[in-house]
Amino acid sequence: MAGGTVTIAAPRIRSRSSLTSSDRFVYFLAAPVALVLLVYIVVPMLATAITSAGGGGSAYSGFLSGSSAAALGLSVGISVGSVLTTGILGTALAVLLSRFDFPGRRVLRLFALLPMALPPLIGAVSFYFLYAESGIVPRFLARYLGADAGAVSANGVWGVLLVHTMTMYPYFYLAVASALAGSDASMEEAALNLGASRFRMWRTVLLPMLTPALVSGTLLTFMVSMASFTAPQFYNVQTLTMQIVASRTSGAYNVAAAQAVVLSVVSIFFLLSMRWYENRRLHRGSSKGTPQAVKVLHGVLPRAAAGVGSLLLVLFLMAPPATIALLSFTVDGSWTTQILPPDYTLGNFTRIFTDPVTLRPILVSAQMSFLAMIGCILIGVLGAWVVTRWKGPGKALLDVMVMLPWALPGTVIGVNIVTAFATPGPFNLGQVLIGSLWILPVAYFVRFLPLVFRSANASLAQIDPSVEEAARNLGAGPWRALRTVTVPLMSRGILAGALMAFIQGFGEYVASVVVYPARYAPLSVEIYNRIYSNEFGTAAAYGTLQMALILVVLVIAQRLETPRRDRMARGEQPAGAPLTPVMAPTPT
Amino acid sequence: MSRPLRFALLAGGVALTLGMSACGLDSPKPAESSPGAESPRTLTIYTARDKALATEVIADFEKANPNYAGKVQLLTLGAQEALERVKAEKSNPQGDIWWGGTQQQMRQAAAEQVLAPAPKDVIDAVPAAQRDADGLWVGEMKLAEVIFYNKDMLTADQAPKDWDDLISPAMKDKIAIRDVLASGTMRSIYAAMIDRQFDAAGSPDAGYEWLKKLDANTKVYAANPTDLYLRITRQEAAVTAWNLQDVMLQIQNQKAPFTPVVPASGAPMLIDGVAKIKNGPSSAGADAFLSFLMSKDEQSKLSETYFQIPTTSLPKEPSWLADLNLKEMNVNWERVNKSEPEWSSYWAANIKGQGNR
Repeated sequence: MAGGTVTIAAPRIRSRSSLTSSDRFVYFLAAPVALVLLVYIVVPMLATAITSAGGGGSAYSGFLSGSSAAALGLSVGISVGSVLTTGILGTALAVLLSRFDFPGRRVLRLFALLPMALPPLIGAVSFYFLYAESGIVPRFLARYLGADAGAVSANGVWGVLLVHTMTMYPYFYLAVASALAGSDASMEEAALNLGASRFRMWRTVLLPMLTPALVSGTLLTFMVSMASFTAPQFYNVQTLTMQIVASRTSGAYNVAAAQAVVLSVVSIFFLLSMRWYENRRLHRGSSKGTPQAVKVLHGVLPRAAAGVGSLLLVLFLMAPPATIALLSFTVDGSWTTQILPPDYTLGNFTRIFTDPVTLRPILVSAQMSFLAMIGCILIGVLGAWVVTRWKGPGKALLDVMVMLPWALPGTVIGVNIVTAFATPGPFNLGQVLIGSLWILPVAYFVRFLPLVFRSANASLAQIDPSVEEAARNLGAGPWRALRTVTVPLMSRGILAGALMAFIQGFGEYVASVVVYPARYAPLSVEIYNRIYSNEFGTAAAYGTLQMALILVVLVIAQRLETPRRDRMARGEQPAGAPLTPVMAPTPT
Repeated sequence: MSRPLRFALLAGGVALTLGMSACGLDSPKPAESSPGAESPRTLTIYTARDKALATEVIADFEKANPNYAGKVQLLTLGAQEALERVKAEKSNPQGDIWWGGTQQQMRQAAAEQVLAPAPKDVIDAVPAAQRDADGLWVGEMKLAEVIFYNKDMLTADQAPKDWDDLISPAMKDKIAIRDVLASGTMRSIYAAMIDRQFDAAGSPDAGYEWLKKLDANTKVYAANPTDLYLRITRQEAAVTAWNLQDVMLQIQNQKAPFTPVVPASGAPMLIDGVAKIKNGPSSAGADAFLSFLMSKDEQSKLSETYFQIPTTSLPKEPSWLADLNLKEMNVNWERVNKSEPEWSSYWAANIKGQGNR
């Protein structure tokens, strides 16, 4: 838009800083990114707004008179609560794992992400088997401690908060962990040398550095809590998403659309206020030193305490996935009033492995979410870069465009995508995607782009633009500076976001079921079929396979993150300060 | 150098994943819906029915119509998702048959003009009350909504015998109910409960009062049917209301400890429908499938092995049905279809969770 005028005026004013061509490069990159966002996200999602306006705005009347307004209040309250609980758990875990070394650290690091891999449908079931009145924990407490099983079970809003905390803390954990890895230890040391107390150093040096990461986690958690449906349904809490489903079930599609619009407007308002907050307190590290070394705990007692503590934490985090694994070895229907299942079998696994078409859904999900992940990385990273480096108005708009789908329930996204890509038209550039394999990666791309975008955004916010400018002054073109300086500096954040996008795409159900083409049923649809016919064992066996595969991906990712460790262990310290922030080496 | 190493690892990972996935994915590729000159086009069925049942019916269909062998695609999804999908694909339909949906869902689709009439023989075989007037959808089976209980928790004497027993004080905290607003089935059952007391006073108030007492006795609202089965099987609650076919299948396939009770005053009978999608890719295939599915032979088989109550009249009633003595409750479906949304939202706002106040 304003590109032309800037380039004319710029050479004289900014001839020294070489910002002109940088600016032009930003606008040059913004065009394709904005186009992709328009075609794949904004235009499809407009369908919802159009439907909601169908009755001349009458669909919005529910918000004036009670039930929808109350549901909205409940949704916002739950989302704020979820941000607090996930924030505390995720940040604490990230600090613990990035800054301290103790027995069990590496195991904890590996498993810390697994709760995100909980298959969406049986994930909820695992919470039922754990914490409901007839679940393992309340029954155990009732049997051995004499507690009232009904009173100690997770219920209502508390149940929702429990599920949200357990499944969403990785949004904080990953962001904070990557920010800590990118931080500069010399700043902390300087603060301490200048006489600051440890607490003051955290408050005035580290916390401000972590702001972009915390903002990213807060945004992702708040918006996805607003759009969460499974947990409220499971604990029977009348949130706005429950109202949306009720409206759809009764055929009141315009009311459902109006509720979805209000939901996303609230989320977008939250997004804008977080942006404002983040911009007010911007802290960048201009030097790129080594991150703080991992503090090794010494002494028998602290080590033992840390070991036991991390064991308990692993148990808590692993309980839902472990329950699914347990179910996969359980004879269907045999587990009724016992604390743990009485009969075990391998039959559930033999059943899926003897079925010739079993592997297909797994491959479909793996490949489709991988493709979507590549797309998310390309557009997410470029989008984050454009939003951060863009000078002038309009960057908030781009931010909203990317984040919009994150605020909408999955079904709405699925329906919108089908509608938008059903027939060739000017707004979808003539693409017909329904019935083709491509619609699945597109749906995953649209749904999970915000993960990569936010994560990349957070790590970019930590990087001083002067690093890029230095590269430009040394003669690198804008593309080369981006490729060789900025992107490597962001690599941890990108990897974290890409991991989340891949994992969530792998198990996606709500949008997939509306869009998936014949013959390419994703894994989640197969799991749904098994649950529908109440074959829990088989469903859990599928879920266990899914989690095992994701665990493999996590191991690979951890290897990718720390390729330098081996060399460091061999003592080949690279000359000079490393440009790439990497995890500090783990002492062996 | 760290970067080349990282890129190498990453590229390796990419190649591995793509290779792994690609070789698995495209091996069985029967040219996607190629408009062959002689052979019929691929028939695509969206079904909300149980996958095992649907797969078996399709196998029978392919046997009876060899020219469709290997040319039937089955997509499994919930009834509500099927409706959403058929509506969203209106401008370029991808499916030919929508199999499994409530009467209300089928009516919505018909009103949205996304359905096409079934073949005449199919329409004629189904009584007019159980299908669309123009045959845009036809009822495939009747779902009898009954009470069932966990036989390990209650004896036959203690178990409720009729709907009104559900609100007796003896049932306090013994009842689980599938979340009502998100379930077409539960909405219909609750509406039937209101409807049966409507004529006495000419208002839904007596029904609301009844539902309030039911809410007071309800211990938990289950998130979905599976959750409902779980809570009953694992003895969190003893009694619920659900459709007979699912209960019988659970008893047979999962050895669930359930015993169905046909309420003395009768069971509301809901219609589960099947429809031909308008402008689908294989119109002829859709007709052939509908005729096959609704044929007496196939319906007899489903009725015998899958506990279905057909809408078409069969020469012989299946033995399990004869034993049950099923009585249909008299429900004014026209009134229910008209007032159900209003009644349901009243229930959600003023009754749910407030029975004990």
